[in-house]
Amino acid sequence: MELFLQTLIDGLLIGGLIIVVGIGFSLCFGVMHIVDFAVGEWVMLGAFTGFLLVSYFGQDPMIYLPVLFIIFFVLGWAIYPLIYRAISGKRHNPVLMGLVFTFGLSILAKGGALSIWGYHIQSITTWLSGKSLALGPITIPALRFSGFLFGILITLLLMFFLYKTKLGITIRATAQDREMASLLGTDVRKVGALVYSLYAGVTGMSGILIGALFSIHAAMGVKYCTLAFFVVVLAGMGYIPGVIIAGLILGLLQSFVGVYVGGRYNLVALFMVMYGVLLITPKGILRRGI
Amino acid sequence: MKSLKNAQTPAHSSPSFLRWGLLGLVLLISLLLPWTLSPLWIRIATEVLMWAGLAQSWNIIGGYTGYLSFGHGAFFGVGAYITGITMLHLGLPFGLGLLISGMAAALMAVIIGYPTLRLRGAYFAIATWAFGEMIRQIATILEITGGAFGMQLPAYLNLPFFYYLFLLMTGLIYLTIYLLLERSPFGYKLLAIREHEEAAEMVGVDTVMIKIKAFGLSAFFPGVLGGIYAYWVTYIHPDSVLGAVITDFMVVMAFLGGIGSLWGPFLGAGVVQLVNRYLWLVWGEGTFYLIVIGAAICAVVLFIPSGIIGLLESQIFQPRTAWKEIRKKVKW
Amino acid sequence: MKKGFKLILSVLILVFLIPQFGLAQEKRDFFKVGVVTSLSGELAFGGTVTKRGYDLWADTVNALGGIEIEGKKYKVTLVYADDQSTPATAAVAAERLITQENVDFILGPYASGTTLALAPIAEKYKIPHITGSAESPLIWKRKFKYTFGTIPAVSLIAQASIQTLAKDVTPKPKTVAILGIDDAFSKFAAEAFKMSAEKEGFKVLKYDIVPEGSDYTPQVSAIKALKPDIFAMGSHEKAAIEMIKIAKELKFNPQAFVQHYGMTTPDFRKGLGKDAEFVLGTSVWTPNMKHQATLLFKNPKEYANAFKAKFGDEPEYTNAGSTAAGIAFQEALRMIKAKPPLTQENKDALISALEKLNIMTFYGQVKFAVEGDFYHCNAGLQPVAIQYQGGKLVEVGPGKLQVVAPKFPTPSWDKR
Repeated sequence: MELFLQTLIDGLLIGGLIIVVGIGFSLCFGVMHIVDFAVGEWVMLGAFTGFLLVSYFGQDPMIYLPVLFIIFFVLGWAIYPLIYRAISGKRHNPVLMGLVFTFGLSILAKGGALSIWGYHIQSITTWLSGKSLALGPITIPALRFSGFLFGILITLLLMFFLYKTKLGITIRATAQDREMASLLGTDVRKVGALVYSLYAGVTGMSGILIGALFSIHAAMGVKYCTLAFFVVVLAGMGYIPGVIIAGLILGLLQSFVGVYVGGRYNLVALFMVMYGVLLITPKGILRRGI
Repeated sequence: MKSLKNAQTPAHSSPSFLRWGLLGLVLLISLLLPWTLSPLWIRIATEVLMWAGLAQSWNIIGGYTGYLSFGHGAFFGVGAYITGITMLHLGLPFGLGLLISGMAAALMAVIIGYPTLRLRGAYFAIATWAFGEMIRQIATILEITGGAFGMQLPAYLNLPFFYYLFLLMTGLIYLTIYLLLERSPFGYKLLAIREHEEAAEMVGVDTVMIKIKAFGLSAFFPGVLGGIYAYWVTYIHPDSVLGAVITDFMVVMAFLGGIGSLWGPFLGAGVVQLVNRYLWLVWGEGTFYLIVIGAAICAVVLFIPSGIIGLLESQIFQPRTAWKEIRKKVKW
Repeated sequence: MKKGFKLILSVLILVFLIPQFGLAQEKRDFFKVGVVTSLSGELAFGGTVTKRGYDLWADTVNALGGIEIEGKKYKVTLVYADDQSTPATAAVAAERLITQENVDFILGPYASGTTLALAPIAEKYKIPHITGSAESPLIWKRKFKYTFGTIPAVSLIAQASIQTLAKDVTPKPKTVAILGIDDAFSKFAAEAFKMSAEKEGFKVLKYDIVPEGSDYTPQVSAIKALKPDIFAMGSHEKAAIEMIKIAKELKFNPQAFVQHYGMTTPDFRKGLGKDAEFVLGTSVWTPNMKHQATLLFKNPKEYANAFKAKFGDEPEYTNAGSTAAGIAFQEALRMIKAKPPLTQENKDALISALEKLNIMTFYGQVKFAVEGDFYHCNAGLQPVAIQYQGGKLVEVGPGKLQVVAPKFPTPSWDKR
């Protein structure tokens, strides 16, 4: 029973991290139909930037979260014109163009990180690191728990922004019908830039959290790319509220398979579920994707 | 536009004897290469041939049919493992192992193709990617594949043998594509699916069957190439033959060369692999070459989205029109 | 399409005309040593570890004027080829070094997979090859004539810490849980932990393998619930660091943490700080060992100082093993009195010399087995158990190899 509860908590907390990585990606796919291969590299760059900030200025890494958001928002804004160019115009297959372009970006980022920071595995610690809350026999790691809260908070904020503000409603309108939105006077390109910057900011910001929990190195991005893909497929592509449920399901799946079936079946189970979900209900488990 | 051009005989096509002559010359030089090259360059030439075959196989489903398979490496890996298993555990000869590998890969493609090919665009891409990763994890878990320890095949280190084998196989692939996709109704049907699947269905094309056939065909060749690769490199591991990087390079090569064309993937494979190896020879001790490759991929998407073949087909190499063409191609 | 042909044709002609250099036997008065290792890709971290070992050997030899053969000194030049962490590239790299660069012998890659792809090429061209790092027993089972290794197979190394826990600590722990990461090396390490635990009479409560890159929390929770006395893990440096972080978060308190490999790397110590304390591991070499050598570095201390002066880090056993690979070649060359460039007879003589080799280096005894399951693997070393005590690695066993008593049991996380 204890183990069951602990497994449940572990799963929910892993799910929280998956939400953090998946949320921006889902937004980016939903509005702009870009499958960004470089999502993991944003996490990696965020982690390294956080590491640099901490080693230059000291202080607790967590206070740099807003700084990182701003840095990566600006970076996203700067890169967006290139992405827009890659997926628009008289291109044959915008999905492929986006995929290949971001694939190039991810190789570029990985190579750059390796060339600049080398192969060493870096770690950062916050005052939350290693601390935990005891709930009877259950242990809740403090840093993971705050990551979980962070994920939920970001999702709620994004939902508030998308559903309650005028700008947000414009973004949703654009997501639903790009041509119609553009006819009604929306600057589609600007909306895209805003969404991409938001996505880059949120994902880059999550890097420092992930870096503190695990470790920081140039190749760390790949696994978050996998997770982001998963969560978006399960949630229904572009359906933001679904991300929370999908993230938690994936976390629980990993946790329960790891404990009760065997660690080695962990990833097979994930990929099978993802493949299966796509075949049975491509619009996600809630059937709300685009 | 492009599809129409592909479907008809190109207007500016040169006299056929010239084209056949050029092809003959290419073949002749390919046949003679092992006599003049050092072992290192034979190895690199062999790699180019292998990738040219792989990129072209991907092109059948990704370029001609418009379905972006991001799990194509799985067929290559399955081929490699099946050849390994038939040789090591069943004691079958290499040639038979290759045939079984190709058939198995094609069969697998047909089985997963039926449900998967209903998906479109990014959904199909992600589903095939999940499938590819799943196969990799399964290969790591199974006992017969050697799991994480990998599999060692008997070492037969005859470079020209593998060069000619890859040449034969890749030549066969290009011939098949030429006859089946460029010059037969099958190819037109695929193009119709790529351009407008509903319309194709309405005029009576059995899209489901056609797509499955194309997918099976595009899996058969990587299966065989994977088998040759396994025997050539002698050591295979889930990460080396089933890693996502195999698929990634197939896509990038086909794309750089120009998808949906006969010679595009060949050019893409040649350029990418030669540049990759050249940078490796020059900057062998650093990771700078990764930056160059990444930047090159981005630049091609931005400036020459129709690939090298598109660039060649335009008037860019004629002095009078070159500047105008460049302005047209490279505009912001 | 016509243009496509033309381009293919011109590329082919270009390839045709690439100058075919390096085939003739050239004259030179230095040894040309090929190094194939992972300088990029997944294994770049480990590749750098081997590179440092090889570099230190070459630089030290050259600072002394070179390898002395019949009164004349010959310098060594290392020629690197990156294997990009993939077996296929390792094969191309070997082909390049052997046929283009005409190297006299090869120092091998970091990982076992790339070594397994390289060894047949060395066999084909009959080029001596010593790996200073690969630990997979699979290599030695194949009985490659031209391949040697200075580090004993992982199945032998991993036992040392389990033996120490069985014999040198009180109260004797009874149960063990083992976790391995699903790559060839880590899985061998985990299997070795399991075998020796069973041999020493421990009860194995759980043996599990997890894929690289997954979140290890569920596994730690599952193992924590079983309350094992010992937690042993086979992994590389990254997973080793993450595992200790997770154990601390989840307040997992076994009496002993055992890890192989990764815990000996500087990143482990720097990344974890105080949390690295009490972690047990195994090694075949530490800077505190008392070996007295006749060749190059006189003792481990001198090596450690040279290493620190050059790279600013403490050396660990893979660095030392890589340097020792160079020393083995150096001694074998002296034995056969061969001058550069080596002829094929020289190379074959070098193999016989290596098989006869029995020297004491700063790294310990180097003596390659010439039969059995560990054919051509160094049989001269005894693995030791090591532990972090006060931020430093000390030898804690087994038996006579003990320098400091192991700190046991590990205090729980809140009492540190």
